[in-house]
Amino acid sequence: MSASDRRVREVFIELSDTLVDDFDIIEFLDRLAVRCSELLGVSACGIVLVDHHGALNLVAASTEQARLVELTQLQNLEGPCLDAFTTGRPVQHADLRDAAARWPRFAAAAVEAGYLAVQGIPMRLRDTVLGAVNLLSEVAEPLSDDTIALGQALADAATIGIVHQRAVARQEIVTEQLQAALNSRILIEQAKGFLTHSLGVDVDEAFAILRAYARANNRRMTDVAEDVVQGRITRLGSESASNTPPA
Amino acid sequence: MDQDRSARVWAAIKAVADGEGASLSLRHAVMACAQVLSAMGAGLSMTTRDGEILEPLLATDPGVGELDELQFSLGEGPSGEAIALGAPVLETNLAGIAAGHRWPAFASAGVERGVRGTFAFPVGAGAAKLGVLSVYRRQAGPLDADQVKDALVLADAVFVLALDHRHGLSADLDGVIEAAFTARRAEVHQAAGRIAAQQRIGVTDALALLRAHAYSSGLALHRIATEVMAGRLRLESDHDGASVRGDGHIVPPPTDQGATGPAGTSGPKEIGSPHSDTEQEED
Repeated sequence: MSASDRRVREVFIELSDTLVDDFDIIEFLDRLAVRCSELLGVSACGIVLVDHHGALNLVAASTEQARLVELTQLQNLEGPCLDAFTTGRPVQHADLRDAAARWPRFAAAAVEAGYLAVQGIPMRLRDTVLGAVNLLSEVAEPLSDDTIALGQALADAATIGIVHQRAVARQEIVTEQLQAALNSRILIEQAKGFLTHSLGVDVDEAFAILRAYARANNRRMTDVAEDVVQGRITRLGSESASNTPPA
Repeated sequence: MDQDRSARVWAAIKAVADGEGASLSLRHAVMACAQVLSAMGAGLSMTTRDGEILEPLLATDPGVGELDELQFSLGEGPSGEAIALGAPVLETNLAGIAAGHRWPAFASAGVERGVRGTFAFPVGAGAAKLGVLSVYRRQAGPLDADQVKDALVLADAVFVLALDHRHGLSADLDGVIEAAFTARRAEVHQAAGRIAAQQRIGVTDALALLRAHAYSSGLALHRIATEVMAGRLRLESDHDGASVRGDGHIVPPPTDQGATGPAGTSGPKEIGSPHSDTEQEED
């Protein structure tokens, strides 16, 4: 295993601490994506969820580059995430340089971004697949069985986050929570777009600013996003967390 | 992507309209919803402009309209919660203990009228909260998974029809459906947020501007969104949200900036250090 047992334990405690009553699903999945790449010793991680049109939507990525590679999958409808989602089983490719037949567009984009190995892990709840976790690695070698098992445990944690801690969630609750997560993502995208104009930043800086502001003020990112697009917060520049209040 | 489901749902809406010999409207979508979900009826309540208050707009019959009115006048029920959550509220039995606890007055009034299954689907996307589609069934029990997906796709259809309706947009059915298909992409919502900031309008109005431009230019919604995000296209609102200017020319910002928040009417907070005294213009 690539991570110490202690660190694994810490991460699961951190994640379960996040699962309080009024938790923010986007913040949770964003944190999970970062922890996944750290604990599993991979370069990047992306998380996708299915919507009612049957389309997969990217809800979290540990890095900007991973986000772009994930979007390549979703736009071209090919790649390990889609396969893991469709089959409900883990999908692995240890060297993407020979994956041109399997996923021509995805493999090309991933290799160009510097990712050589990939692992897709389904997010399952009983007989339903809600989405998938995608692991990207710069080293062309397969992940060990232990690492994959830990990856599956983290993917299960993501699933539990979405169904809101309810171990025996009824299907209605799963639907409600999944839709809430997808809608939160849309709200975040709207706020990012808003900030590109009002702060003159690009979309990734906008996301980082939203996240930093939410953390510094102990608020849910979706609530901050809502305030931003409604014009209720006008200043939340990148330096706002540490500097003096406005004169 | 399950384009079959969208096609099937739009065909169901069109069949209702054709049955009346009328051109497709919001009302037909609400009627189709009741049919597809084997419900006693369905209704549509709309928010005030980007506000929280739901006012019943139309229903498949007067009895259902009364149920929506009840939720509105009592200030409780699944519809208001669906708006707040940004997700559907699926109550399988209004006569159950949980529902009685959650909405005491509405649950007993609904049960008296023979309602059991009560379902509310938000009509909107992110901060654009247009309204709620409410569905009432005589029988208790859940919608099956397929019905839930149909209902969510129907709510999306109602969203684009309501958006176009509110802003006086019209297009042929293929145009409406095409714009509906790409409306969920991330860049479309980023562009809506950007336009909301540029024009000091709500996200709902910004989405309507995008759609209006898609109709007038014949371009796909997500292509227009990409242009907006790249700063190559600026859409102008005339405060009716209907007129569009998009000639690729970057329009200079208005000179009276900084006085009020972009879309808010009540004193916006200023938090953290000032980034600059005026909004930065892109590029």
